[in-house]
This record gives sequence, structure tokens and C-alpha cells, in this order.
Amino acid sequence: MSPRSLSAALAVLATVALSACVPVQHASGRGAHVDDFGTPVGDQQVAQGGELVMGLSSEPDRLDPTTSSSLYTRYVMSTICEKLYDIDATSNIVPQLATALPTVSPDGLTVTIPVRTGIVFADGTPFDAQAVATSLQRHFSLKTSQRTSEMGPVKNIEATDASHVAISYKRPFAPITAALADRAGMIMSPAALAKEGDNFGDHPVCVGPFEFVKRVPQTSITVTRDPLYYDAKDVHLDTITYRIMSDANIRAANLRSGDIQVADTISPQDVDALAKDPDLRVLQSPSLGYQGITLNTGNVDGVGKPTKPIGTPIAQDPRVREAFSLAIDRQTLVDTVFNNWFDPTCSPVAPQTPYASPAANACPAFDPQRSRQLLAEAGVRIPYPVSMQVSNTQDQLRYAQALQASVAEGGFDLKVVPVEYSTLLDVQKRGTFEALMLGWSGRIDPDANTSRFLSTGAGGNYGGFSSSTLDKLLASASRTTDVGQRATLYGQAVQLIHQQNPIVYTYRLRNLTVESTRVAGVEVYSDGVVRLGKAAFVKNQEG
Amino acid sequence: MLRYLCHRLWQSAVTLVLASIVVFVGVRALPGDPATAMAGEQADPAAIAAVRAQLGLDEPLPVQYLKFAGHALTGDFGRSARTGTPVREMIGATLPVTVQLAVYAMLIAVLAGMAGGVVAAVFRGRWPEWAANGFSLFALSVPTFWLGILAVLYLSVQLGWFPASGYVSPFDHPLRGLYYLTLPAVILGLAHAAVVQRQTRSSMVETLTADFVRTARAKGLGRGAVVFRYGLRNSLIVVTTIVGLQLGGLIAGAVVTERIFSLPGIGKLTLDSVFSRDYPVIQAVVLVITTSYIVINLLVDLLYTVIDPRLRVSGRTR
Repeated sequence: MSPRSLSAALAVLATVALSACVPVQHASGRGAHVDDFGTPVGDQQVAQGGELVMGLSSEPDRLDPTTSSSLYTRYVMSTICEKLYDIDATSNIVPQLATALPTVSPDGLTVTIPVRTGIVFADGTPFDAQAVATSLQRHFSLKTSQRTSEMGPVKNIEATDASHVAISYKRPFAPITAALADRAGMIMSPAALAKEGDNFGDHPVCVGPFEFVKRVPQTSITVTRDPLYYDAKDVHLDTITYRIMSDANIRAANLRSGDIQVADTISPQDVDALAKDPDLRVLQSPSLGYQGITLNTGNVDGVGKPTKPIGTPIAQDPRVREAFSLAIDRQTLVDTVFNNWFDPTCSPVAPQTPYASPAANACPAFDPQRSRQLLAEAGVRIPYPVSMQVSNTQDQLRYAQALQASVAEGGFDLKVVPVEYSTLLDVQKRGTFEALMLGWSGRIDPDANTSRFLSTGAGGNYGGFSSSTLDKLLASASRTTDVGQRATLYGQAVQLIHQQNPIVYTYRLRNLTVESTRVAGVEVYSDGVVRLGKAAFVKNQEG
Repeated sequence: MLRYLCHRLWQSAVTLVLASIVVFVGVRALPGDPATAMAGEQADPAAIAAVRAQLGLDEPLPVQYLKFAGHALTGDFGRSARTGTPVREMIGATLPVTVQLAVYAMLIAVLAGMAGGVVAAVFRGRWPEWAANGFSLFALSVPTFWLGILAVLYLSVQLGWFPASGYVSPFDHPLRGLYYLTLPAVILGLAHAAVVQRQTRSSMVETLTADFVRTARAKGLGRGAVVFRYGLRNSLIVVTTIVGLQLGGLIAGAVVTERIFSLPGIGKLTLDSVFSRDYPVIQAVVLVITTSYIVINLLVDLLYTVIDPRLRVSGRTR
């Protein structure tokens, strides 16, 4: 080996070795974007009291854990309604109102949850296993419940004693712990439920650092410190007001003017400018969800109805769909469209969860030549025309247009059809699309990111995809309780998905939250929920 | 006069019923269904069906309409499909905000517009007229949303003179309330000021060159008296018409302004409820806006007869 090639080889080796030592970072022309979930108050000098104002990007729906379906409701609920389980910064499930992770009977059919005792709801009534059972049962008895399917094939729920709740199943259902780390696990005061009934969301009462005060529709939601909260010593603020500000530019302007101290869902277009402001700090966490393009392979009469064959090559021939996936230059697209703030992905399994594996994280490289070759093998005309419906928001349209250029290299003539969001949901349900770009906010448990969208006949299988092999894989993964085994099964599922490409996964959002340096203790984990319950104003910076 | 009033009231009632039917059908013709929009990306079919039943959307259209109309007559517009809040409460909370904003903006528009119009008419052909015309051209051609964003950026964020957003009820803190509303009202009022200015100017010019004014002048009436007693009074009728017509435009403009300044008004409520396909809210909001248009029109017509006695006579002869 010549000295020159030797030094080159050494340089390469050194780079590889060095990059192996550096924690996972997202390379950027403008400095690395590193996860920052925020830090608990800890030893920082903070003031007691103050009124924190957060700019919410969207109006929460009903403040009712049973019927809510909005992500933003979770932001508000995180301060007033604790859950049986929560997740921590490393996406592990940890007990919150439960005292430990659930125990599962050897046959997998009974899940027992130990719960706290000796604490009270905001209305002063005691919290116990019976209250937990009442909340969980409501998810099944209320007609408009959004929780029924999340909780799985439940047979019975009962409080076995004051501190234990047992859920018995018709067949084993592993995703239940993750579901209880979400809205299904928020425990409502039985006294308030008896009083308010279906209108619980008008005056929600739970266990939490704050209690609900009032809601001005379309405007704001105010909560105040709950003196009865079991951990009240760690609660610093007097009140939190969530102000609804749907426009990203307006949230950014209000952060800078100091009218609000925290804002969620900052656009990648604004975040660089905000990051430069010395009075502001950007928190970022990877999302559990994905953005992707659903290709319609059989949804003709609407989702839930029997699928029918569609006579186009992209619907019938997996080679055409694979070519489409290979023609997407995922890394370049996120770098250019989202200023490198988002991450490319090819998988519905969130990489930061214990269910991820090399197989699940695998991503075919951008290969326009192979794409054209596959199209030629499939015997279709090049450029192959595809019509894709997208939401008419700025970021989505920018991505779609960049995608158009990317797939053109691979032999596709992509037509972008912008549609308003509500309409897009309807189009998706009716099946009146060839390709459709939409995202999923994601759950920790991969079952909630896969089965509902890909299992034959599932409620969210908008593309009408059907594969008995994938169905079996996903079903067995949801019944398996061993995390390692589940990771293997989901890895196999992703391999299968890459052969069939019913959904072409494109990128993952990052939850971009901006806070004022005047506050401490704001935390955002990968579930995207902005946690303000233990936040505080830095001393002498009260709001 | 009384007969005229009755006739107009009857007309208004028919318009309202027709409007309610159009709104009702129109809302349902929107693509996207509220139950799906509510369930969002989760979309559990059983839950969607339950929501639809709860909203009464599974019943035939005429039945749905009659129920809606019957309840609306008693002031009951149901509950928001999205948040579950009674719609009456939502309108009760947002309508006063928009009314305050519109009245404030109109006040600014009328005062600034009339002043500009008088200046332009009196100083015809000289620099004050060019300045006034330049202002009106600018105010008319620059879109409200752009001006609003610039105002927030420079006057709120950079200079910190005005709050970037938010609302304080003038009934709680009169001064703070006015302070919070000022920037949005100026932005919203600018384009209307331009229209008022142009109309005032042309009406003034017409009056000031009229024969009766020349006669009055010849008799020794002072310049100020001519301008204010004759010119301005005559242009008042024009301004009243414009104000009546523009109040409608103000509510439409309020949608944009309320969004930029996060003002919890009915414009923002309309926009948000359309996006979330919140049928009960859209129906109620549009009905309320339609009703206010009709009432404003009626009031403007009645006001004419007060300002201009000639119309009073013709009203009587009908």
C-alpha cells in the first residue's frame, strides 16, 4: 500500500472510529441537532408561584380521557390528569399512579396493576383501585369512547382489593401497558363522573399537580395548582394558561415578545431563527410516529368494506411500489425541506423504543437507477404517472414538491393534489386516492403503529392492503409479552412491508418546543407531550 | 313609517329562514365529515358511528333541519362537536369581542377617513391632497394580513409598544382592553378608512362646487362654516351608507385580523369550526353573522331617514 493510500485509509478509519464514539447526532450544516428533552427543576434556583402562559398550536377537543382524540388534549391533561403509567426521557414506561409495572399471569390472560393508595383526587375524594376500575370500565361503557380498541380484547376489569386492579383478557394483549401510559390510563374521579356523566370533559377532575379552572372555547384553558396533590412540594407555578394560537408565525412572534413562555410544534422554518435568540431555548425530541405515503391497493368502497382489486400497476405490482420507495431520496429531502430538523425513516417502529432492531430500522438507499429498472421489469411506461393527495399546509406542500423532483429521477411523474386536512381524512376513508401523504403521531407500542394500518380489514387500513403473512406476524407480535421476541417479530414485519410497500414511510417529525430561558423544568419526551406540571420560573424572573 | 318597518321586518325574517336553509345544506355539502374530523387520525369506526349518532347526523336531512331550526328559535344551538361546549356559550364569548373590534375599527376608519377626505377636498390640487390620496391608495392595496404581520413584527416584537396577541375585556380593565384592541383595530380599520376618505372627498367636492354653496358663500358665509355645515353634513349620508356596507366587510376582515392577533372573536371561531367541520358551531355562527348583517342593514336604512329628510318623505309615500 502506498503511503498516500495508507494515510487515506487511516483517515477513513479514524473517522469511522470517531463517529462510533460520538452519541447519535443529526449532522447539520448549521451545527448538530441533538435531542434535548428539557431538564427537571432539580437544584436550580426557582421562584415559587407565577403564571405561565403556553401557546398551544391547536385547540384540544373534549378534556375527557375516554372520548378525546386530539394530541393537544394530552398537553393540557398532563398537568391535571395523571396516568397509571408514563414514559421517561428514554421512552421507557414508568409507573405514575400505579406503583409498579403490571404483572401478567403465566397464561397471559390476566394483567394485574398495583395502584397507589392514600392519595386524593382534586375534589378531595380518595383515589383507590375501585376508582381505577371505574375509569377503565367507562372506556367500554361509553358509546363515544375512543379507547375501546386501544385496550384490546378485554373480558373483565375489577378491583381485586384497595390497591390492585385486574384486567382479564380473552387472549393475551401485550400493548396494554403502553395504552395505560396514554389517555386510557388517566384516572377520573368517580364522584365527578357520577356528577357530570357524559359532560365530564366540561369540568375534569383527576389526580394531578394542577386542577382545571376554566376553559374559554377557542381561546384558552386555565389550570391552577392543586394543594391536595400528593407531590405538591415539587409544584411551583400558581397557574398555567394554555392559549390557543394556531399560526406558527404568530407563536414565534409571541415567544419573542415574551407574551408566552412556551410554545409547541414550531415549524422547522422558524426554529433556526428562534434558536439564535438568547432568551429562548429549543427543546427537541424524536417523535414516535411517522410520515408516509399510503398507496391504495384495494380500498374502493371505503375503509372497512371488503377490498376490491384496482387495475393500475402501482396497486397490483409490488415492483412498482418498491420502485417508488427507492426513488425517494429521504435524507436529502428532510435536509432541504426541513432544514435537517426531521429524520428520514422507512419504518413504523420508532427507533428509540425497545422494540426497534436493525431489521426494523433498515432503510433501502436512494436508488433511482434500480427504480427505473424495476419499472421496466414491471413493463410500465416511463415516466409512470402517480397522483398523490396531500394536506395543503405549507410544510407538507414543500415536501411534496421536493418529492416530485426526487421521484422524477426514478422514473415517476408525480402529480401533487393539495387538499384541505378534513377533506384529506375523508378521501383516505373513502379510498378515492391513488397515493396519499399523511402522518401518524405514533405510540410507544409498535402494535398501535402497525396493526391498525396494515392488518386486513383494520379500521385504519386506508390503502386496503391485505397480506395473510403480515396479519399473522402482527397478531403474534401483539400476543407476545417478551420484549426481545416482539422486537424480532416487528423486524420481520418491516422486512415484509419493504417487499410490499403498502405504506411508503418517508420521515419522522421531531417535536420542536421552544421555551423562554426564564422558565425551568419544561419537559418533552418522545410522546410529544409538553409537560409543564413541575415547571417553574427561574428566580427573579416570575411571570 | 310603521308600515315600512313591518315590511322590512317581514323581509328580514324570510331572508333569515332562507339563509338558514342555505347554511344548513351548504355545511353538509362540505367534503369531510365531522365525526371523522373529530376522530382524526385515530378513526375508530365504531366510535365514529357513535359520534355521528350523537350529533344526529344519521337522521334524514329534513328532520335534521327541522330539529336544528326548532332549537335555534329558542336560542339553543346544541353543543360543539369538537369540544362539547354549548355553542351558545361560545358565541356569547366571541361575539362581543368581534363587535368591539369592528366598532373600534370603524370608529378609526370614519374619523381618519373623514378627516383625510375633508383635507383632500379642501386642498384640491395641492400637496395635502396628494398625501391623503397616497395614504388611501396604500391602505387599500396592502393586504390586511401582511400589514398585521408587519405590525406584530415591528411594533410588538421589536419595539414592544403593543402586545403581540391576547385580549382583555374592556369591561374588566377599560384602558388595558383598549390598549390590547388598538393595534388590531387600526390594522382592520385602515382599508376602510381609505374607502371612507375617497367617498368623503368626492362628496365634499361635489357639494363645495354646488350652486347653493356658491350662493351661501356669496351671502358671506365663512369657509369653515361651508365646509362643516354643508360639505360634511352632505357627505355624512354617503359615509353612513359605506359604514353600513363595510361593517359586513369588517367582519370578514376580522377573520384575518383575529387570527393574526389571536383575538378570541367570532371570525376566529368561524374559521376554526370550518376546519374542524364542527357543524353545530358553523351553522350557529353563520346564522348569527347573517342576522347581524340584516339588523345592520335595517338600522342603516332607518338612519338614512334621520339624516336626510328627503328620504323620510319618500318613505312615507310608499
